[in-house]
Amino acid sequence: MNELLQYVITGLALGVIYSLIALGFVVVWKSSGVANLALGQLVLFSSWFTYGMLAQAGLPVWVGIPLVIVFAIVLGWAIERFTLRPLIAQPILSLIAVTLGLAYFIEGLVGIIWPKSLASMPPLFPQEPVHIGSAVIKQEFLWAAVISLALFILLSLFFRYHKMGIAMRATADDQKAVQACGIPVTRIFSQSWMFACILAAVGGILVSSIGNISKAPLVETGLQAFSVVILGGLDSFLGAVIAGPIIGLAETLGGGYLTKLTWEGIKDVIPFIIIIIVMIIKPFGLFGEKRIERI
Amino acid sequence: MTLPTGIRNYGYAEDMAIFRTRTQWTLLIALLIILFTAPLWFGNHWLGIANRIGIAIIAVTGLNILTGYCGQLSIGHAGFMAVGAYTSAILVGKYDLPFIVGLLGAGVMAGLVGILFGIPSLRVKGFYLAISTIAAQFIIIWVIEHWTSMTGPNGIMDVAPASFGGMVLSTPTTQFYLILIITIIAIFAAKNIARTRVGRAFVAIRDNDLAAEVMGINLFRYKLTAFFIGCFYAGIAGSLLAHTSLAMSPDYFQFKDSILFIGMIIIGGLGTTTGPILGVIFIRLLDEFVTQLSPALQNAFPKLLPGFTSGIAPMLFGLAIILFLIFEPRGIAHRWQLFKAAYRYWPFSY
Repeated sequence: MNELLQYVITGLALGVIYSLIALGFVVVWKSSGVANLALGQLVLFSSWFTYGMLAQAGLPVWVGIPLVIVFAIVLGWAIERFTLRPLIAQPILSLIAVTLGLAYFIEGLVGIIWPKSLASMPPLFPQEPVHIGSAVIKQEFLWAAVISLALFILLSLFFRYHKMGIAMRATADDQKAVQACGIPVTRIFSQSWMFACILAAVGGILVSSIGNISKAPLVETGLQAFSVVILGGLDSFLGAVIAGPIIGLAETLGGGYLTKLTWEGIKDVIPFIIIIIVMIIKPFGLFGEKRIERI
Repeated sequence: MTLPTGIRNYGYAEDMAIFRTRTQWTLLIALLIILFTAPLWFGNHWLGIANRIGIAIIAVTGLNILTGYCGQLSIGHAGFMAVGAYTSAILVGKYDLPFIVGLLGAGVMAGLVGILFGIPSLRVKGFYLAISTIAAQFIIIWVIEHWTSMTGPNGIMDVAPASFGGMVLSTPTTQFYLILIITIIAIFAAKNIARTRVGRAFVAIRDNDLAAEVMGINLFRYKLTAFFIGCFYAGIAGSLLAHTSLAMSPDYFQFKDSILFIGMIIIGGLGTTTGPILGVIFIRLLDEFVTQLSPALQNAFPKLLPGFTSGIAPMLFGLAIILFLIFEPRGIAHRWQLFKAAYRYWPFSY
């Protein structure tokens, strides 16, 4: 029983982090129609950058983390300006492929600057575990959940009330109409990329403070966030927020109970299996906009 | 533009011929002579590289049929290659079947797995399909890593070398001929698939699937056919890799390799016959150039970061993909066409 509680709590906490990363994808997809497959590498890069700031440069947390966020904003701007803007109005294949090129580039860059394959993040949160009922939870999980939820609320307020947020939603709805209203669409694109990078950075920091800072597994975390996007529906913020915990739960519960029945490591492929199932049964996800089109 | 001035067609066979002018035939024969005598002047090192290039050309040619002609993006091609490699290694190693059975079995098995993961393509396209093929990559590798009764705890370390009848092909030279011949067959077959009814149906699906369906093309059948053919090629390539490198582990077929395959067809030129060849050669030579050069650079400039040698290659690959997409989305193949046209119309090549 306490096993179950443990799985549920860790699963939910992991899930909201996935949601965060997935939201970064959805923002970009909705505003500019670009599928960002470099998500995993953005998570990787920002985790290692945090490591560089906190552990290698020895900055205190309250200086280091804002620096990481500022850097994420610059990175988002640079990505949009130099790789995606020249490709506006190209076929979707090019848009996907350019993010793949980006993925390769970032991974190489991380390899050059931080050649080791594993490092531990300096502790950001108090270390002693918390007892909830009969379950013992690492405090990082709870902090991750709290921070993610706070960010969700902030983001939804931003999109609801701030002028820029409303402009971004309008762009998602109808690009041409927005342009006709005199809103600079390219600036919206640029901002959506900044958002994506910030969210990936926060997600990366949270994930690597729970586990280690690694190479391939971190990229995989970013890729697993795609299952959230697919399950929730590509163009739905709400979908991403709700699907995240579902995937997280499926991962920890499946990892906990199915490992005995199947093979080790089932935990890591559950999101991918969910992707395939969703694709076959309900391709536009739980909350995605259904396009009536037979293909 | 594809036909030189003054060449006319008087019959269907002439119209369909791939090589038609005397220059083309001369160049072809010269190329074949150079290729078939290559082991005489290549060292073992370069022969090994040539073998890897040949294998990659086969895999990427398959991907080109799937992505370049049919428009179905697959970012799990290394996974399908792994299916082929393991199928072949197990058929030959565990069940003592001849190599040729392993080779074809690898192709068919990879093709069937490809069909399985291609099923979502019937309902989704573009980005969704890309994600489902990424999922395929990870699921396949996971199964291979954990199905240890079949695939060995740390991969298969004693794959039998390729053999025909009693002839065992274990030296780099014999392997080179094996790979060369299969590569030529594969390219020739791909060129001809692209010109048949099936290939034209693929192109129609790529350009506009709704219109294609209205014209009477059965999307269900042709999309899965494209997946089968594309993954069949990957399986063949995987089998050749297994039986020439003689050891197999899941690390040979990473997600990174799948991305690189996509990069190769983009750099070479989507939907062309020469594209995959040029793309693979470009990336592999860049790779080789970097591996040769970077230790020297590291020594010359000790201030360089310690991970320079390992990280510079992926960075350059990524950069190449991005730059090609921005500045020459039709790839090297298109540049080659332009060059040929310029040569043909020489004094007036504007």
